[in-house]
Amino acid sequence: MTNASSDANTMRWLDLAAVGALLVALGFALFSPPDVVQGDLTRMMYIHVPTILVAYGAFAVTTVATIGYLITKSLKWDTIAASSAEVGVVFLGLAIATGMIWGKPVWGVWWTWDARLTTTAIMFFIYLGYLGLRRSIPDPVARAQRSAILGIVAVVQIPIVHFSVVWWNALHQAPTILRPGDPQIDSPLLGALLVGLVAFAIVYVWLLVRRVQLANIDAELEARDAASDVPMAGEAVSAPDLTSGGTAS
Amino acid sequence: MSDWGWVTFGYVVVYGGVVAYGASLLWRIKVARRKLKARG
Repeated sequence: MTNASSDANTMRWLDLAAVGALLVALGFALFSPPDVVQGDLTRMMYIHVPTILVAYGAFAVTTVATIGYLITKSLKWDTIAASSAEVGVVFLGLAIATGMIWGKPVWGVWWTWDARLTTTAIMFFIYLGYLGLRRSIPDPVARAQRSAILGIVAVVQIPIVHFSVVWWNALHQAPTILRPGDPQIDSPLLGALLVGLVAFAIVYVWLLVRRVQLANIDAELEARDAASDVPMAGEAVSAPDLTSGGTAS
Repeated sequence: MSDWGWVTFGYVVVYGGVVAYGASLLWRIKVARRKLKARG
């Protein structure tokens, strides 16, 4: 079996694993018992908590890959950092959206300037800024170097967001799982939550691998464009050379 | 809206969002591969 067909097979299995994981998580979420206080609304937890935890993980991967780039100077690490940040922004956006959809029936409002919500929104916009910064720098090496600073500094927001409910008086509830001591949740609900977490982690890996694949093809296209010297739209027209002995009539 | 209505809304947003983003990546990979092939 060639490397290319082996990679294609691996990708096919990863595609199936991602779809299967989402379906299994959906089954657990729909058939788990309702909560004694929140009733069926507690099912929002099985999508809200995994999406925010996967976003934390994605941003941690961005930082590790950025450090990898700074040590090795290999652009492969930078590609992983950028791809993970983009996938993380998608998951964080979904976590914010599900938080709003959960907040409306429980708190009576879509949004409030609570410590957790505010710090999460700041984290969302900072990582959007990271992606925007990358798009504004055409040179791959300069792009990697300049975005590395933000890629490392931005990660301090993860503990700030997570512990915001402990450090400040917040409307948002305190951590249920990632807290000192045992998780404060009944085991059938915890089971469904952990299944959701594993499923969204598998989906994250799938999205990351696909995003890296796309970035690599784009980089190859850019390299071929540069090598073939094809005039591009927006390129400046060069003035004719008048010093080479041409005669004007 | 009922509790199940809110839950359905949330799941449609998350599952729809993940599927839409995943499908957009697959589509962009397909288009980029086609460009690469066309350039030899």
